[in-house]
Amino acid sequence: MTGSTSPALASAHDVELAALAAAGSRPAFGELVRRHSSAVRGLLRRMGADAALADDLAQDAFLAGFEQVADFRGEGAFQGWIKRIAARLYVRRLRKDARVDLMSETPEPHPPHAGEGAAADRIDLDEALKMLSAAERVCISLCYGAGLSHAEVAEALNAPLGTVKSHVKRGLDKLKQRLAPVGRGEDEDQVAGRPVHG
Amino acid sequence: MADLEFETRLDRLFAEPPHFPDAPLFALKVDERLNRGWTLRRLVIGALGLVGGVIGVAQIMSSGVLGKLQFVSNASAKSLNDLAALAPAKLSLPALPFGGEALWMSALLAILALGFALTRAIKEI
Repeated sequence: MTGSTSPALASAHDVELAALAAAGSRPAFGELVRRHSSAVRGLLRRMGADAALADDLAQDAFLAGFEQVADFRGEGAFQGWIKRIAARLYVRRLRKDARVDLMSETPEPHPPHAGEGAAADRIDLDEALKMLSAAERVCISLCYGAGLSHAEVAEALNAPLGTVKSHVKRGLDKLKQRLAPVGRGEDEDQVAGRPVHG
Repeated sequence: MADLEFETRLDRLFAEPPHFPDAPLFALKVDERLNRGWTLRRLVIGALGLVGGVIGVAQIMSSGVLGKLQFVSNASAKSLNDLAALAPAKLSLPALPFGGEALWMSALLAILALGFALTRAIKEI
């Protein structure tokens, strides 16, 4: 596995590459890493990991993926499969470090809407996710970023299903407000009697 | 309906990965860690094999198997000598239409063929 890749591998489908990797082809797995590393690293950062931790865990996820690649049958997308491995690694780390009380129903304090009304911010998912509590952020990322069902998230977090659902609901409400189209957000602000900034 | 639309939009936003300029470097780091893992694994397997071999040889030496083998060897040599004395002269190796070397070569080839067949059979399984 080097910086470059052969044309045959570059044009191969993920399922073919995974089959080759399962047979021990490291260049094939390298191509999969090249294709999907950004998605995995991005997901981990969106879940709340800092850059260094996200990169470490993404590497761990790919190493684990190489060990388990024979289990990938191609029923879903490879990216979803490897993202789920990475997400579960991050959740395990959170639980180990006990940094987030994922059982907590109480919303954690979060920064106010910085730059409310700024059009550019409204479409930035990464900025919007920062407005959520850690638990909401993890639950939303697991559901929409890693493609886990509410029940799977509850199992991964070892939290009651109802708690997960309420974190997702609250997170969605906040994101909806934050990511609303400019016009709609301003209208809502005006209806609510709030001043609309710049 | 609006909720569904928003969730679809959220799915789409999550599906768009951020751009990482250091992506090639990241791939290299994963490769390095895979290399390190394989090297370590090979070293551990080699070391375990060596330790196992040493322990096995030590066990064989201490169990007196070599002495027993010597005894069995002597006994079989004696039996063969007795058999040769009893056997008619016609069955002696020099009387065969081919030499003793040919007999040994045939036995060797038969063993090789058996090994090859076993390997193929194991691969098939």
